Amino acid sequence: MARNCIVVNLDRCTGCYGCEVACKMENDIALGEYWNKVVEVGPFGDYPDITRYKVPSMCQQCEDAPCVHVCPTGASYRDPETNIVLVDREKCIGCKYCMMACPYGVRNWNAETKTVEKCTLCGHLTAQGELPACVKSCAAGARFYGDLDDPDSDVSKELARYDADAIHTLEDVGNHPATHYIWSPKHGEWKERI
Amino acid sequence: MATASQASATMSRRSFVKASALCGAVAASGIAATDCFVKADPARAAESNDVKIVKTSCRACIAACAVLAHVQNGRVIKIEGNPESPMSMGGVCAKGLAGIQALYNPNRLQYPLRRVGERGGNDWERISWDEAITDIATKINEISDKYGSEAITVSTGGGGNPHFSNVKWFGESINTPNVWEPGCAQCYLPRMAASQLVYGAGKPNNLSFADSNGWDYYFDDTPVTSLVLWGTDPSNSSVATGGRALAELRAREQGLKTVVIDPRMTLDASKADVWLPIRPGTDAALLLAWEHWIIENERYDAEFCKTWTNMPYLINPETRLTLKATEAGLEGTDKDYVVWDSKTNQPVVVDYPMNEGVDPALFGTYEVNGMQCSTGGELLKRSCEEWTVEKAAEVCWLDADQIVKALEIYTDPEGQSGIMQGVPIDQYPQSQQCALAALALEFLMGNVEKPGTMLQNFKGCPVKDQLGNTPRLLSKEKVMKRAGYIEHKGLMDWDMCFIPDVMTMMKDGDPYQIHMWFDRSGNKHAVLGNSLQLDEVTPNVDCIVHIYMYPTAFTRMYADYALPCTEWLETNLPIPQLNTVVVRQAVTHLFETVEEGIIWTNIVQKCAELGNEAAARAFDPEATFGHVLYKNEYEKQKQHMGTSGITWDELCEKGVMEWCSVDEYRTYEVYKKIDEKTGKPKGFGTPSKKLEIYAESNTILGRTGYPWAKCAEEEHFEVPPASADYEPLCYYVEPAESPVEGAEGYDPDFPLVITNGRLPMYHHGTLRNVPWLREIYPVPELWINPADAEKYGIEDGTWTWIESRRAKTRGLAKVTTAIPKGVLYQERFWNPEFLNSDDPKLAYTAMNYNVLSKTDAPYNPEYGTYTLRGFTVKVYPCPEGAPEGTWMKPEDFTPWLPTPSDPTEEVFDYGA
Repeated sequence: MARNCIVVNLDRCTGCYGCEVACKMENDIALGEYWNKVVEVGPFGDYPDITRYKVPSMCQQCEDAPCVHVCPTGASYRDPETNIVLVDREKCIGCKYCMMACPYGVRNWNAETKTVEKCTLCGHLTAQGELPACVKSCAAGARFYGDLDDPDSDVSKELARYDADAIHTLEDVGNHPATHYIWSPKHGEWKERI
Repeated sequence: MATASQASATMSRRSFVKASALCGAVAASGIAATDCFVKADPARAAESNDVKIVKTSCRACIAACAVLAHVQNGRVIKIEGNPESPMSMGGVCAKGLAGIQALYNPNRLQYPLRRVGERGGNDWERISWDEAITDIATKINEISDKYGSEAITVSTGGGGNPHFSNVKWFGESINTPNVWEPGCAQCYLPRMAASQLVYGAGKPNNLSFADSNGWDYYFDDTPVTSLVLWGTDPSNSSVATGGRALAELRAREQGLKTVVIDPRMTLDASKADVWLPIRPGTDAALLLAWEHWIIENERYDAEFCKTWTNMPYLINPETRLTLKATEAGLEGTDKDYVVWDSKTNQPVVVDYPMNEGVDPALFGTYEVNGMQCSTGGELLKRSCEEWTVEKAAEVCWLDADQIVKALEIYTDPEGQSGIMQGVPIDQYPQSQQCALAALALEFLMGNVEKPGTMLQNFKGCPVKDQLGNTPRLLSKEKVMKRAGYIEHKGLMDWDMCFIPDVMTMMKDGDPYQIHMWFDRSGNKHAVLGNSLQLDEVTPNVDCIVHIYMYPTAFTRMYADYALPCTEWLETNLPIPQLNTVVVRQAVTHLFETVEEGIIWTNIVQKCAELGNEAAARAFDPEATFGHVLYKNEYEKQKQHMGTSGITWDELCEKGVMEWCSVDEYRTYEVYKKIDEKTGKPKGFGTPSKKLEIYAESNTILGRTGYPWAKCAEEEHFEVPPASADYEPLCYYVEPAESPVEGAEGYDPDFPLVITNGRLPMYHHGTLRNVPWLREIYPVPELWINPADAEKYGIEDGTWTWIESRRAKTRGLAKVTTAIPKGVLYQERFWNPEFLNSDDPKLAYTAMNYNVLSKTDAPYNPEYGTYTLRGFTVKVYPCPEGAPEGTWMKPEDFTPWLPTPSDPTEEVFDYGA
């Protein structure tokens, strides 16, 4: 099965918040709500070895997704065709179990519909051969979309350019997030927790 | 205010989006609303999708990134990047993407407004454009007749879709020399003008990467191996162009080494090989130490310096200018330069570019014709003699080893480096000194017009984004009345005046009273130094006209007329980008907004119609030396397209067009090309055709106004000298307000030094009314080092008072090691949410850095630069917090969510 996800190259990322706004415009996200949020990490360490970067955080497309396990109604599900973790708003009863189960806090409570929602990898765009909005307009060319299992995908090609010590995920507690981040050791340390 | 009532009638977020294509397209293409992302049928989606995509470009900042505007039923519903731009490559930052919320902002000025009642009140009446233009033109003519046209002042600002040359052109057309902007001497002019003086390659060709120089770096085959980012942060200031270019260069197999000199640990600094968190206001000290180290360690390119710089030229100790053959008692003219030949130990008249067989000494002092003449190189060496790395480390609060590490990167003999110099040095009185020193470093290293260097002289685009102005419309008598004309001659380069004098003229009528003020900019309170002075200077100005897209605190408090201009999505302009031209074309047009150039020309036309003879001359080819003011949009576009052979319509259709190939564009070492007239290399655009490491052009400027003093009567005329010589070499002056104990300007009550800087979601004073951006950064952060936070009792995330010798204001403390001990950082800010409150002054006093900054002496001699960075303050807790009514929570910004509306007809005739 495909492992579609986003890869963010933090060596490139300028921390401009463009992805946050692109996501809001494309997916009609309310003020104060986020499917993609840029989070500050650091600074930590002592001069001259100080680390500081920003992490755009969104659904990490876990291979073993806790949100799907805990959902009592099947609203959080893995799409059998694309293998993407999604939420069916009609089935969501707003219990927020999935929000508690998500290790990364990237699920969003839609105050208007009283349902949980999250990054869909812009499936409505990718189904038409376009890229997710945040990838398309990324000011630094730092975001990539594609299938980790396809060596010719943008994500696989970008990851292949880096050594293993520059490739990270957020903390993996057995859920195996598909989303990867590139942050080279020469720029600073990687923090698994944000 | 007319616009205030609109704010309350805002549509909800959902209602906006229902009017947009997203839901339209999704619903129409038959995708289930519950999981609208999975099973789209592309054919059906395309069929039902009536969205038109218009190629245009952003103007949320000066980078002009190419975008695709999605338009449905005349309304802009989505913005994304256009990958065809060779600079932004499909990227857009938060500012550009949020363009829809700026365009359809409920606070837009929609119609011309005239104040009813006293200033400070908030009552306005809607008037027609005809009435507005007639009123204003009548006023201009009356004031010109009664007091002289110099009693009118015109200002602009860099944020929010302005066109810089317009205000100058307008000022010259209505016959006033008193045109200004708070950037200029405080932003870009010093770096640009210094380069024109000592490099002479024409505009822009300088070290400012954020102003779209450094063209070689947009090509991934550039051999650059390292860059010094001296007070510049492309990741914030030019996100999708400069920021992207650096990201691409770093991502190459060979990578890119960087040195970042910035008190803030920006995301450029966090990726740097060396970060030097310099004390604000001390750059000249570090620059001198770099010159010293490079000379001492012989890292300079001696051959280049001997042939292509004036370093070996002997200097006449009496004139302090280059020694000429006639002064040396040698055969030759008063235009011939003299060097000391190390081989024969005698002075030799230079045979340009350099005499064969002569080895010109770079250093040393020699007796010539009874005078002790040093070479330019010798004087440079002496100017930085005391500036060891250790001394600079002490003055600049840096680590000496890290400075040396940075120098090793910059001077690596195996690599190719360059310096990108940012705006901080333009914002305190050593502006020219720092600009000259950085150029001297690049010249010493031979970093000029080679593949991979910052300084380039690539082919110029025949399409013009700036049309230039017509300075020779003004008579000598009028030009001499320009504020600061004699003392700060560097301002002549941009035909602008000295702001502190204009403020005095408005306030005290000294030497004459300003009676009318046109301002076309975002909030002057946010960007002008010591901006509370506006409350004192405006009461004596009879008529104030503000032109902008929204009311600002300036409009609310002072304006008598408010004229609505266009947002970038309503504006036309061609923009050269490398070997292409990118279009900015009006995607829609709202209400009765008018592009600012069209406003200016209509005012001038009306002045002329009402009998103003000076204004009529703006349309006279002879009086304007062939550079007439356009009368309408059609004529404007023709002027912009110039001799390119590309038509405006063609460009609109294509969006991005190549005007030459990449190979034709990237012309290296232009100075070596043979000039057919002389049979010799063309050299550089200085009088000596050499790069001036010894910047005698700066001294000549101060004494005479050459090469920039001009007037209707003469192309060049001699202006009396400034009160002191402009120095040809860099020197260091401790900031007038110093945080160093024992320094003259030290005051223990104000122990910390403060700076400002760029953020990626705002440009200057703009966009504080855009919900998507304000929710990211609702109020200004005050960065304070943990050691200082502890010392002054400041906790992370708490409101803090910041007090300078002039005023106090607030910041939200961020306790962080991203700023060194002893230094504070806070970005400029203002709060539009207070405009319609009972206390509108809170809009510019609650948390505005620029009420703290300093516009009194000392000034930079050349440009009159005042102190926006590197003054001192104290901090203490502000337990009362932000004033009630400050919007901080994301939902607070709901009233500013977009109110889309249908397009309207243009107000003025297109012209063809």
